[in-house]
This record gives sequence, C-alpha cells and structure tokens, in this order.
Amino acid sequence: MTSTTPTSTTPAPTTPAPTTPASPTTAAADPLVGAPLAAPSAVARPERRGWTRWPRLALPLVPLAALVALAVIGPWLTPHNPERVSGPTSAPPSGEHLFGTDTSGLDVFSQTLAAFRTNVWIATVAVLLATAGGALLGLLTGMNESARGPRGLAARLLGRIADFVQAVPGMLLGLITVAFYGASQTTLVLTLGVVLAPLQARLVRTEVLRVRSDAYVDAARMAGLSELRLTLRHVLPNSCRPAMENLSVLFAVSIILTASLGFLGAGLPTPKPEWGAMISRGATDAAVGNWWPATFPTLALIITVAIIAAASSALLRRRTR
Amino acid sequence: MRQTLRRQRWWLARIIALPFQLIVFAAVSFLLVHNIPGDPVAVLTGGQADAANRAAIEKQLGLDGSLPTQLMRYLGHTLTFDLGHSYITGRSVASEFGDRLPATIELTLMGVFLSAVLALGLSYLAVTRPRNPVSYLVRGYARIAGGLPDFAVGVAAVFVFYATLHWAPAPLGRLSSDVDDVPKVTGLPFLDTILTGRFDASWSMAGHLALPVATLVISQAGVLVKMLIGGLEEAVDAAPTRFRIASGASPAMVRLSLVRRALPPAVTTCGTLFGYALGGAVIVEAIFGFAGIGSYLSDSVSSGDIPAMQGFLVIVAAVSLLVFLLVDLANMSLDPRRRPGARTD
Repeated sequence: MTSTTPTSTTPAPTTPAPTTPASPTTAAADPLVGAPLAAPSAVARPERRGWTRWPRLALPLVPLAALVALAVIGPWLTPHNPERVSGPTSAPPSGEHLFGTDTSGLDVFSQTLAAFRTNVWIATVAVLLATAGGALLGLLTGMNESARGPRGLAARLLGRIADFVQAVPGMLLGLITVAFYGASQTTLVLTLGVVLAPLQARLVRTEVLRVRSDAYVDAARMAGLSELRLTLRHVLPNSCRPAMENLSVLFAVSIILTASLGFLGAGLPTPKPEWGAMISRGATDAAVGNWWPATFPTLALIITVAIIAAASSALLRRRTR
Repeated sequence: MRQTLRRQRWWLARIIALPFQLIVFAAVSFLLVHNIPGDPVAVLTGGQADAANRAAIEKQLGLDGSLPTQLMRYLGHTLTFDLGHSYITGRSVASEFGDRLPATIELTLMGVFLSAVLALGLSYLAVTRPRNPVSYLVRGYARIAGGLPDFAVGVAAVFVFYATLHWAPAPLGRLSSDVDDVPKVTGLPFLDTILTGRFDASWSMAGHLALPVATLVISQAGVLVKMLIGGLEEAVDAAPTRFRIASGASPAMVRLSLVRRALPPAVTTCGTLFGYALGGAVIVEAIFGFAGIGSYLSDSVSSGDIPAMQGFLVIVAAVSLLVFLLVDLANMSLDPRRRPGARTD
C-alpha cells in the first residue's frame, strides 16, 4: 500500500486555482527568488509612469483595507449591543434597526458588524496555520519520500496520514472535533488548520518534487549547504507559489466552513455574533417570510469572500508580470 | 496466468489495498478519540459511580484493559461490522447507520451526478461558443465557484420558492403529509418508491427533492465548471486535437478525444466534490427536514455519544475511500499514463 496506491499521484483536487508549475520565466521574475527583480512590471512596460500605475494597482486593495478595518474596529461601530436584546422581535428594517431584528430581538446590523471580527479573524489565523503546517508537511514529504530507510518510510507514512485526513469531508471532521473538544475560537482555528493543511501540503509537495532535482539545488548541496538550510533557502521559496495562489481559496473555504459549523450548531455559543449561527437562526424566519435576519449575514459573507478573491488575484497578477 | 495478473495489477492492487487502508483509518480514529479529554463513565453516571460500579460500566463500554487490548478488540469488532453501541440509547451504531446512511447517500449522489452532467454541458458550451451570452453567464458563475455557501443557497431557496412564491412544498421531509410511507426495499427512498410501484409517492418526493438537489448542484457545480473550462480550453488547442482534425477524423471523434483528455482532473474533483456534497447533504437535510445521517450526527454531537461519532468517522471514511477508489480507477481507465508503474517521460 505504499508505492502501488496512486492516490498521491492525483493532482490536488479541491484547489480549483490553476496550479500549473511556474515556467522558468515567471520563476525568474518571482520577487521571492531574486530581490533585484522586485519591480518586474516596470521592466516589462517601460512606458507606464509610476503615478498612472499605482492607483490601478492599489484600487483592488481598497476593499481589502476596508475589510481589515471593519474586522478591527467593527465591534465598536455597532449602534446596539450585539449580544443583548435591543428591540421588538422580528421587526423589519427601519431607521432604529437598519437591518431589522431577529426572533429574539437582537439587532441584525450590530450582529453582522460585530461578526466581521469573529469570522475574518478565525479564517485568517486558520489559513496562516494551515499554510505554515502544510508547507512544512509538504517539504518533509517531498524531500524525503523517495529516500531509502526509515526517513523515507516516515515521510511516506506522513503523506498517507495527510491523505486520510483528506478522505473525511472537512465539515464532518470539523463537526466531530468541535463536539469532542468543545466550541471555542481556539478549537475552531486548530480544527480548520488541520482540515486545510493537507491541501497546502499536497500543493507544496508537488512543487518540491519538481524543484528538488533542479540544478541550483544540486549546486547548493555541492557548495556544502546543510540539508536543512538548503531546503529553507532554496527549495521552499521556489515551491510555495501554488500554495500562495491557493490562499484566497482557502480563506473562502475556511470562512464558509466556520459558518457551516455555526449553522449546524457546532460553532461558538449562541449570543456570540457569528454569520453561520445568524443565518441558521434566520432560516426559521425565512421560512415564514421574514427575509432580513438571514440575508444580511449571507451578503456580508459573500462580499468578504469576493473581496479576498479579487484582492489576491490583483496581487498575484502584479507579481507574475 | 501470471502475465494476465501482471497486466491487471493496476486495479487489483488498488482494490486489495482498500481494506487495509480502512483498518489503519479505524485505528487512527480510535486513538484520536481515546485521547479526548473527559471521562465517559462520569458523563454517563453524572459522576456518581463508585469503584465497583465503575469497573462494571467500563467493562460494559469496552473501556477495560490496556490500550493495545482495547484497540485490538475495537478493530476486531470493526472487521465484523460491529461498531459498538450508543452510550445514550444503547442501540447498535451499525444498524442506526444502516437505517439512515442510504437516504443521505442517495441525496448526495443525485447532487453530484446532476452537477457533473450540468458542468459538462455548460463548460462545453462556454468553450465552443465563447461569444454566446449564456457562456458569459457560465464563466461568471465559474469565477465565483466555491463562494456560494450551500446553507445560504438553501435558506434563500426556502424563502423564495416556499415562503414567497409557494411553488415548493413545505421543507418538512421527503413526502407530503397526505402521502403514506413507502415500505423499505433498498433503503434508498426515491428508488424504493419506484420499485414498489408507488408513483404517487415518487411524484411527491420528486417535488420535495427539487430544491435540496438544486441547492447542492448550485453550490457545488461551480468548481467543476471552472475545472472543466480550464481543461477543455487547454485540450482544444493541443497537438492531439490538431492531429485529429488534420487527419480528417469525424467531428464526433474530435469531440470525444477532447473530452477524454479534459476529463481526468474533473473526475478527481468529482471525488472531492462527493465529500463536500456529503457535508452539504447534512446541512441540506437540516434545512429541509429530511431524515438521514445529519440529524443522527447532530443528536450524537449534542449528547456527546462517542461510539456514534467514532462510527461516523469510520463509515464516512469508508464511503470516501470507496469513492476515491472509483475515481482513481476511472482516471486510470481514461488515461493509462496514470496507472502505477507507467513511464511518462
């Protein structure tokens, strides 16, 4: 079951982002590799002046900045206390309650705003954790898996374990872990990290397999660099690009996973503002025709995902050119 | 004989490995669950157990003996499809799943199958008729792939089609209340209505299934469309296509070869999609009041029923591994280069 099973040869499935290996030209223009080439777009298009270029590049980042600002100061902008009853139950949107109130009289506008911090924070930490863990796992398995002896065996075993984690649908695994260890921000972040790390590991591993036999790695090895330094200094920067491109997808997945868990009642405890739990409570409202308690958190969620996707594709485009 | 065996090794080895993978998974999940903080005996008795009582309960729950003994016993039981008994209700976990899993699997399969058909059609249209207005819509839809959460789509569907337009029946189960239950044959509810000839129930169930399945398809198909558009666009312009056209192959053959080359990554995605759809089915069941593993899972999660959750892990992993096996076999048939031992360079 070690070398004959081809599950590990299938391409990373849940990453719709094109993971075509970077061609030599883009690798050379990658600012992570060569610091002097930090402004490749200026080289490619000399006719563009700095002052016409900058607004165009900065524009997609404005929504991102607004999102970060909301996540930081959102809880202080709320007109009502998001965790306390603040008006009549199921009141439609009005001047007093911009987004109306839900079945227990909580102000939907305040809840939606305050939830920016919860959801964006959980997703950000989880994605960073998953990427760091995934990169480590991918490097370990990629560099060692064809080695002989216990090292190779351990690496192959590690890869297999990652496959197993991937075999269980993320949401169900998350549901059960949260049930076992109790619902808190820490559990949610760690669970999402474990669920998402194999995806990143797979992307990094594929790249490591391509990079590890490149000439410069051999050159560095012959120059006497230790295996650890070599991996960190030369293999990692050249193999983390697909994982970086995948960050926005992972962010969307973890925002949605958090909300799904909240929706199924395995998220944070009730009055804590969280979009999934809000939508779940709003679902009963929606069935009797009150559209507002579920609509606004859904809109917030979709807009957040869209902003992150747009910002990341803008940033990455800037890098590749 | 040996020659035949060697030639068939690519799929035989894969099938033989499956039970071993499952056993490893069962062991890993057992160890994980074993390390959970908390004492099941204390939970069960409310902390009232004395030493003698405690030993008896531990024995009854299978918690006596050393860790390796427990593990071996657990694996032995798992091999005979005995997943233990619920701490709370005392019923056998395996039979609970036998009652509920088929319904969920049916819903999931419907979602994945329709997603696949729809995605194939839409992406083919988008690639071959790029100027068609529908193609722009399809590409826009593919761009937001994965950004449409299934629960939001489901809630919106209930609001629009049930609460506002009154087109859909109430989200309270698979059958309207005036339709009698259908006897069980296979456990797959929709198939049963057909097998028993109860077409009134089939009709009612189809009405109830329309929104949930549409929810699954809308939230899952985007990823597949994106994948297929990418694959088809690459394949359209590749040398094999040019060769077929240049050598005068019929348009049907050209199309077949196109799809065959674009398909393997999409088939892999289908496998992953199945996992997502299984998770999505749990959510959809909650929204539309369907019976299935969703309600069982949330019950056992809220009551801390460890054997049920452990059984859940093992069964879901078994289903997923089986799907991955099918995906791998399908890919290896479509593209022989993917078989183990094949030389690609």
